[in-house]
Amino acid sequence: MSTASRDRILDAARANKPAELPLPTVPDFGGEATIERFTTVLAGIGGTVVRMSGLAELVPTLQQLFPEARATASPLFAASVPINAQTPTGILAAIDLAVLPGEIGVAENGAVWLPEANMMNRALPTITQHLALVLDQRRIVATMHQAYAQLPNTGGYGKFVAGPSKTADIEQSLVIGAHGARSLVVLLY
Amino acid sequence: MSHAIRADKFLLDADRTTWHDETLWFVREKRDRAAYGVPEFQELRELASGIKNHTLSRLDLYLQEFEAAAQANGVHVHWAADAAEHNAIILDIIQQQGATRIVKSKSMLTEECHLNPYLIKHGIEVVDTDLGERIIQFRDEPPSHIVLPAIHLKKEDVGDTFHTHLGTEKGESDPQRLTEAARQHLRGKFIAGEVAISGVNFAIAETGGVVVCTNEGNADLGVNLAAVHIACMGIEKIIPRLTDLGVFTRLLARSATGQPVTTYTSHFTKPVAGKEMHIVIVDNGRTQQLGRPDFRASLKCIRCGACMNTCPVYRRSGGHSYDFTVPGPIGAILSPNIDMKKHASLPFASTLCGSCTDVCPVKIDIHTQLYKWRQVLGEANEIPAAKKWSMKFMGRVLASTRVYGLGGQFARKALRLLPHGLTHAPSMNAWAVARELPEAPRQSFREWYAKQPQPATQLPNPKVPA
Repeated sequence: MSTASRDRILDAARANKPAELPLPTVPDFGGEATIERFTTVLAGIGGTVVRMSGLAELVPTLQQLFPEARATASPLFAASVPINAQTPTGILAAIDLAVLPGEIGVAENGAVWLPEANMMNRALPTITQHLALVLDQRRIVATMHQAYAQLPNTGGYGKFVAGPSKTADIEQSLVIGAHGARSLVVLLY
Repeated sequence: MSHAIRADKFLLDADRTTWHDETLWFVREKRDRAAYGVPEFQELRELASGIKNHTLSRLDLYLQEFEAAAQANGVHVHWAADAAEHNAIILDIIQQQGATRIVKSKSMLTEECHLNPYLIKHGIEVVDTDLGERIIQFRDEPPSHIVLPAIHLKKEDVGDTFHTHLGTEKGESDPQRLTEAARQHLRGKFIAGEVAISGVNFAIAETGGVVVCTNEGNADLGVNLAAVHIACMGIEKIIPRLTDLGVFTRLLARSATGQPVTTYTSHFTKPVAGKEMHIVIVDNGRTQQLGRPDFRASLKCIRCGACMNTCPVYRRSGGHSYDFTVPGPIGAILSPNIDMKKHASLPFASTLCGSCTDVCPVKIDIHTQLYKWRQVLGEANEIPAAKKWSMKFMGRVLASTRVYGLGGQFARKALRLLPHGLTHAPSMNAWAVARELPEAPRQSFREWYAKQPQPATQLPNPKVPA
């Protein structure tokens, strides 16, 4: 590590920067914080919303949606594979379905905030073949401004997940299921 | 070699050029639909521009704030003055781990620093994990677009490449099946990866964390399975506050591909217990650009690629014709700062139509900077002699009414009398290589006007009410 380079970069930035300009205040633009909007937008990016009347419906809903899932992981019910931060990669790589609690849903883009504390293992939400996020419908906000305003901090790791993993790198053809989860369902209750 | 000569090669295949043009325009149209769907889109552009301008005006302070916050998070922070130092720092981290298997997600900075060949030379296996990047890595080509690195290739090309490298069936060109083959291949690489290298979309001074945006999930998979994460960022990636991301995440994907947001917007702030996280902060010419008042706004760029998708020259000349890590209009204003001589032709690869400036989510005055670089290059004697002297000559002609009139008379006669082969000779008249000169009229407008009955010398006084 070179402190000489650090000093050189900081000195050059100090010498070459323009006169100070003000930091704008970002307004809350309002917007539509509805389940309908969230559902439509998520469908447009390849995800699905499934409504539940309460958490009691979670297990039967999952059995209906993922009848084939053998290796499941979740902090919300007695899933088949116990997972924690130390779980070896080989076990993680065999997970068919992870069911994790999301914190905030964003109606304008279908994204759900998933903090580290909710994901059992940092690799789980992307290495699982299928991902289901369970979200309280009262936690839907209109925009990313409102989502960030609600985050106390981003913890060690956390992410907004908007739909399944996808790519259009071959001739701009949309393919769902690039490296991460092949499908994403948001279970709203 | 100039941009025009490299573009000629791209243009040899007319069908492919048309396809390239239409495909990128389609992305531009998707961008428009996404932008029009957000009523405050123009306000967001203004805010993004303002936040970036403010950050650049306090860049040294925000960099220090970021460094202190990152270190408090248990992250190792490194500083690299140039590409060579960046590469050496990364090799050192890898060697200290005794690692040889590296998975990398997309980072234009590591392309700029030519990290891959450097690591490979030192016996390290580097696997690019973004699908487009993996395709071009197999083909040993540079990316031709910063967001769509393999946009110059057709699915049949990818099929051939995967047949050679992944053993897919010969002639397979279905994107779904090709992507599945890459998924299976890269899963193995992710699981075996010892060190993960990622780029950085945004670095937050307030939290010391970095944000990486992908659609494929390759950064998350690579970083979270490896023991060590190295995030590489240019000094201009800094933003002050976490809440500023509200503005930038609303603009980035909409401007890039017309998506409402990228699939994953991942915040890497602290390493997990027992693992390491490193951030390499790189200058490589950026503080020099900060010191050029006419060009410093180029440092606001968030690498969305919207200026490429809209550019009539980029769409019809391809990313490789720019011969620079970042092609298109933004590349044409960044590259002369790095090497003015080598990239002297790029600011001329533009019609100055201004479409790039219109779509830029952080309001960089790209076409104005292209025009200003031309002046700088002219002053520095970095433009070809033929262009320089013909421009000087035209400047004289257009500056004098008399010379212009005489020149017009001469040109009209010459065009009528001289053979087509001479007036359109490519060696004499580069303009006419792909164009036809108009038929010369008998007289100019001025000559015609002079022959018309002269109007009254003084206009009648308008009636002014008393």
